[in-house]
Amino acid sequence: MSYSIDSILDQRRILITCGTGGVGKTTLSAALALRATLLGKKTVVVTIDPAKRLANSLGLKTLSDEPTDLTQELKKAYDKLNPSFPRSEKGSLSAIMPDTRHTFESFFSGLSSSKTHAEKLMKNPIFQIFAKEFSGTNEYMALEKLYSIDSLGKYDCIILDTPPSRNTLAFLNAPLLLAQFFDERIIRWLVLPTNKIVSVGMKKALGILEKLTGSGFMGHLFDFASSLFEVRMAFQANLRKITELLTSKDVGFLLVTTPNPETLPELLHFMDAIKEHQMHFDGIALNRTLSYLKTTSTENFSPDTSHALKIVSALQERESITVKKLNEKGFPFTLLPELARDIHSVEDLLNVALAFN
Amino acid sequence: MDLTKKLIFICGKGGVGKTSVSKALALTLSKKGLKTLWVAFEDPLKPPGELLEISPTLWHLNCESITAFEEYVGLKIGVPSLTKIFLQNKLMRYMAKAAPGIHDLVLLGKIWFERKNYDHIVLDMPSTGYGLAMFQGTENFSKLFQGGPTHRDALSMLETFGDPSETHFLIVTLPEEMPIRESLELNGYLQKMFPKNPASFLVNRSFPKPVTAPAASQSPESWIGASPIPQSALDYVEKRSINEAYNLRLLEQEKIEFTELGFLLPTEDKDLIHTLSEEIENHVILH
Repeated sequence: MSYSIDSILDQRRILITCGTGGVGKTTLSAALALRATLLGKKTVVVTIDPAKRLANSLGLKTLSDEPTDLTQELKKAYDKLNPSFPRSEKGSLSAIMPDTRHTFESFFSGLSSSKTHAEKLMKNPIFQIFAKEFSGTNEYMALEKLYSIDSLGKYDCIILDTPPSRNTLAFLNAPLLLAQFFDERIIRWLVLPTNKIVSVGMKKALGILEKLTGSGFMGHLFDFASSLFEVRMAFQANLRKITELLTSKDVGFLLVTTPNPETLPELLHFMDAIKEHQMHFDGIALNRTLSYLKTTSTENFSPDTSHALKIVSALQERESITVKKLNEKGFPFTLLPELARDIHSVEDLLNVALAFN
Repeated sequence: MDLTKKLIFICGKGGVGKTSVSKALALTLSKKGLKTLWVAFEDPLKPPGELLEISPTLWHLNCESITAFEEYVGLKIGVPSLTKIFLQNKLMRYMAKAAPGIHDLVLLGKIWFERKNYDHIVLDMPSTGYGLAMFQGTENFSKLFQGGPTHRDALSMLETFGDPSETHFLIVTLPEEMPIRESLELNGYLQKMFPKNPASFLVNRSFPKPVTAPAASQSPESWIGASPIPQSALDYVEKRSINEAYNLRLLEQEKIEFTELGFLLPTEDKDLIHTLSEEIENHVILH
């Protein structure tokens, strides 16, 4: 079942693109933003980890919270290509590449009640490891950024290109994973270890933990927990507003993948997870497809060329199996072409944006 | 490229084929009659902690932090009743599941303990940053756990990983710009962490290089102006091979030696893993 990307862009204020590495998610997200602009939307694409040339073509040279306006560039490219696809004058296009890695600390400072408390938290060695290694950090910060951009009320189309994750689901699970740290029932025990309400079992468990890890660690752990305890209300309020936004009808999810039959179980798993989280799944974007290429007969070529052409046909065959299976299951999907070279300019992106079908 | 060490970490960007390469390498080693464990980390599609016998010499483990944590704690505490109290504690469960560093430490710790039971352990690592974080988390926590037995275990683990007679790091990449840049970055970090144990490079899914394309004289930069979307299958394969040769220069500039694996696809009688395993057997030097 194919779907129209334009009707999705019309329906949602925010589109979040998910997918594993190497599927071309960032290019696709940028092209989607161009498409939305042509349709007349005030658009911004929030991209986390673009290739250098793609970042350059979006005018993004450094990480920054300031958007780069690309409306004129798009207009120029459009006039040059002069495509049959109409362009609304109302549309505008910006791109942002926020610094998610380094916003974690400022996020916690913002939650803290005082400067001293924030400083105490930043100095804690467990917090430092937490800020650096916690695998939900990037994801949560991307959502935080999304929320703040949306709150500006300046845009009627926001495309969020999610950061590279361990797996497709990691992005959806990040808020809950981070929330676990603020589970009041648990940190309360750490904050009040000598309190009478602490059970015998907890005392024993903490004793064992101390034996395994040494007393220095326990001190840091108690400090860390008391810092978290202080900001827990502010964090939970923050999490609630983010969750509310993500589950609202304004937000849709697109899963970007390559046309391999092997990825189907992962697709299914992802769709189930979206439903479980009460979010809205809008469809699959099969990226880097080759079926649109006319196959030439492999004869009369050098052995290497005909070998290469045979690989292309085999890939086309796998693609058609994938498409058939998606059709059988009734999953909404759209196809986007594989490119012959990297993206260098807004004009290149416009070519991709026009290729959505 | 020495892929006969006890521990072989398969690292690289997402989408480069780490899972297939690690599985195929494990298969190749197991076919030589060597007892081999192929490890995935927290695959959400498989039961957590599951150990599966694929053949008498090939086993698969879906290494997961809660189950690894339980085993480790059991081993360290030694007394079953105390272990039970500890593990049933909500706070401890929470630390095993969510705490960065502890999480990484137990996952790698599990593998480190398993090394006695196998001839080879081939590890399908999480993509670049996450894979690296497993080593860094272990290192960071070993510093925090001054004095305790966990501290000593973490140090021994890192020593094993840094020892070229026991461990090898294989960085898998594709002949595409982003994966190559990321692999170079990863290599830099690994070198800093394990200076005595240099990684080797494998370029996966290398396309055939058509001789008709004047690869040497053409640069992808010269195509700017035309649409990036290829016109025909022939146009695509020619441009792709030129692109790949161009991208591989990034490795050559850094004087990095690499082995290339061809672009393989499953055939009617053989799945991808078996095809890949044969290719590894024939083209990758296994010392």
